[in-house]
Amino acid sequence: MAEVKTREFNRASSLSIQDPQLRRALQKVGTGFDAARRENIVEVTPEVWEQWRERARQIKLHTLDRLDYYLDLLEQRVSQAGGQVHFAKDAAEAKAIVSAIVQRNQVRMAVKSKSMVSEELGLNRVLESLGVEVYETDLGEYIIQLAGETPSHLVAPALHKTKEQVSQLFAQKLGVPPTSDIEAMARVAREVLRQKFLQADLGISGANFLVAETGTLVIITNEGNGRLCTSAPRIHIGITGMEKVIPSLQDLAVFLRLLPRSATGQRLTSYVSMVSGPRRSEDEDGPEQFHLVLVDNGRSRLLKDPDLREALCCIRCGACLNICPVYQKVGGHAYGWVYPGPIGAVVTPALTGLKDAKDLPRASSLCGACREACPVKINLPRMLLHLRQQLVESRDPQQRAEDGGEKLLAQGYAAMMGRPDLLGLARGIGRVLQAPWEKQGKLEKVPAPPLSLWTRSRDLPSLAPRTFHDIWEKELSRAPEVQR
Amino acid sequence: MPLRYSAEMADAGFPGTPKAQFLGAVRQALGRVSDAAQIPYGSAVGDPVELERQAAEARQRIASRQRELLEQFAATAALRSWKVFRAPALEDALGYVTSLAVALSASKVVRSNQEVFAELAVDAALQHRGVQVIPVAQSAGRDRAQLREEMASTAMGITGADYAVAETGSVVVLPRRGLSRLVSVVPPVHVALVRPQEVVASLDDVFLLRRLEYYRRGGDMGSYLNFITGPSRTADIEQTLVVGVHGPKEVHLVLLG
Ligand code: SF4
Repeated sequence: MAEVKTREFNRASSLSIQDPQLRRALQKVGTGFDAARRENIVEVTPEVWEQWRERARQIKLHTLDRLDYYLDLLEQRVSQAGGQVHFAKDAAEAKAIVSAIVQRNQVRMAVKSKSMVSEELGLNRVLESLGVEVYETDLGEYIIQLAGETPSHLVAPALHKTKEQVSQLFAQKLGVPPTSDIEAMARVAREVLRQKFLQADLGISGANFLVAETGTLVIITNEGNGRLCTSAPRIHIGITGMEKVIPSLQDLAVFLRLLPRSATGQRLTSYVSMVSGPRRSEDEDGPEQFHLVLVDNGRSRLLKDPDLREALCCIRCGACLNICPVYQKVGGHAYGWVYPGPIGAVVTPALTGLKDAKDLPRASSLCGACREACPVKINLPRMLLHLRQQLVESRDPQQRAEDGGEKLLAQGYAAMMGRPDLLGLARGIGRVLQAPWEKQGKLEKVPAPPLSLWTRSRDLPSLAPRTFHDIWEKELSRAPEVQR
Repeated sequence: MPLRYSAEMADAGFPGTPKAQFLGAVRQALGRVSDAAQIPYGSAVGDPVELERQAAEARQRIASRQRELLEQFAATAALRSWKVFRAPALEDALGYVTSLAVALSASKVVRSNQEVFAELAVDAALQHRGVQVIPVAQSAGRDRAQLREEMASTAMGITGADYAVAETGSVVVLPRRGLSRLVSVVPPVHVALVRPQEVVASLDDVFLLRRLEYYRRGGDMGSYLNFITGPSRTADIEQTLVVGVHGPKEVHLVLLG
């Protein structure tokens, strides 16, 4: 599995915030994709948008409730189309399956279109260890492959890079002259990868959706790399999470309406490729073998938990990332694994274990923007709260967060608030103690904990000279308009 | 017919969890004991009779609005960055395609074989202007690699369309003899010819009709169903739109009738 660095969220996020390049790259998150998404909602009207969301959500929930049935149907229909379905309970199995296909067919070169599950598994390293030359072909993925990095966004994996950084990278790795022209950079990728598409013996893709009834894998791309990966090489492996299945072809339309609009604000992406099995004998092109690898890898843990199941409705559009005030500041890498942002904060603890991802559910202000943006109406804030509750109440001490005296503090606070005399006394002491750091009603940079934990990154309002109670008693309640 | 796995391949046994066990684990996670088939909502396994009825209705609706849908398709396609050319007469279409090839100084173009080309003698017109036309259909005897190399060096790919979707401005292409998906994605310029009878209103229409077709053909979808909606593009660097990455930079839509 891809390396899990979720324990380091706090450190990584403060580093991210201090990185000027990253801040520049992240600046457009809210204004680019998200603004386009909003325009689309206005265009189709909020009422219609709401109907689509509700329908998509119902389809997903229905399918998840009967996931065994639909996976069974999917397997039958893919086989009927001449393809082969493999089931992998974890990352190790998925990698073993792909390795077996690679070795049996003496694969030398593979081209890949974007797949988050492949990132989740760390598939490229396995392929390379088998001596396969691997090329990511989505421009963003290609950039991060060259840089030896991981994706920082579900839809735009190289979102964290500025064009200057990409230009430098291309110059360094590909020996092309540096340029500030983004079009020229895209052209470089086109030229380098063009030959690879035609030479590769294996194409690997993810799946945006799997249609059970017809055994169809659906991928949507804008660049055209998905189509090339799935039609040019002699073998196609689709590798994806088991939750991607939907019942029938007629259920697909609503998702094709929602996904591109939510992801990049497009009415439809340039390419939608729907693959049902390998080439038929009368076809002029297409792969001779079609393999579909369905991966569990912790998803059944989400399925099992009624509070978290709906996270499997996610269609990976990235809208919740784009709108999230935390993601907008820290970027994707701080989240420490493959899935960033609000959905990552929910899914990652389930897939990698809550004990290593304790900070993720807390990396949210619970403002609710993600839920509103989500095209399948996933209640992300509720799930984050649920995970926080587990962090506090779990019987497994490994899963419990160190509460840093929070409980004691809360008890003390409760006791104090119930006793006006105590409260008054505490206020008096507080006013004296805060004096050295008080500046215009605020406390800045208190040197000692616990207050320093707060003031190291923001100011704290100081205790005011007079309480509201006092002001009310002496002035407000006597004011003429109150008496009237 | 689907190409079947050779017996050895099927028997070879791959690593991974056997299906029954995998589904068992899913069922357990769902907290169900029985593996009794669940009642699928709205029937995931379509009823061909009902689908026939719906499809007949849809066809009628589409036919009665053909002109209007054609206009809508042209407008949406233009929004999706197709260069739309309306060709009232066949000569206009031929003229447009040949002048495109000439403007590109194309010596070779590649063409898929669809019905529209029976009406429209594109090959002759192009050859007349000194442009060589490579039909995919003749590739059967040829080495696949060779056809691809050839395709990679052509300036333009010409295709027809199975459906043109007014809702999205998409052209839909289905597999058939003499048609390669690469024609619309490998050359830097793609030209799609669309006849009025190919226009449908929405994605729902396409999926309804294909679903029906799946059952009519005894449970075969064909190996692919592809939507093309404008040129290849990316916004992967600084969310800045760039047109023409792996697919064509320029896409033309010739609307007949
Ligand atoms: S949780 Fe919702 S908004 Fe976030 S990526 Fe998934 S589908 Fe999109």
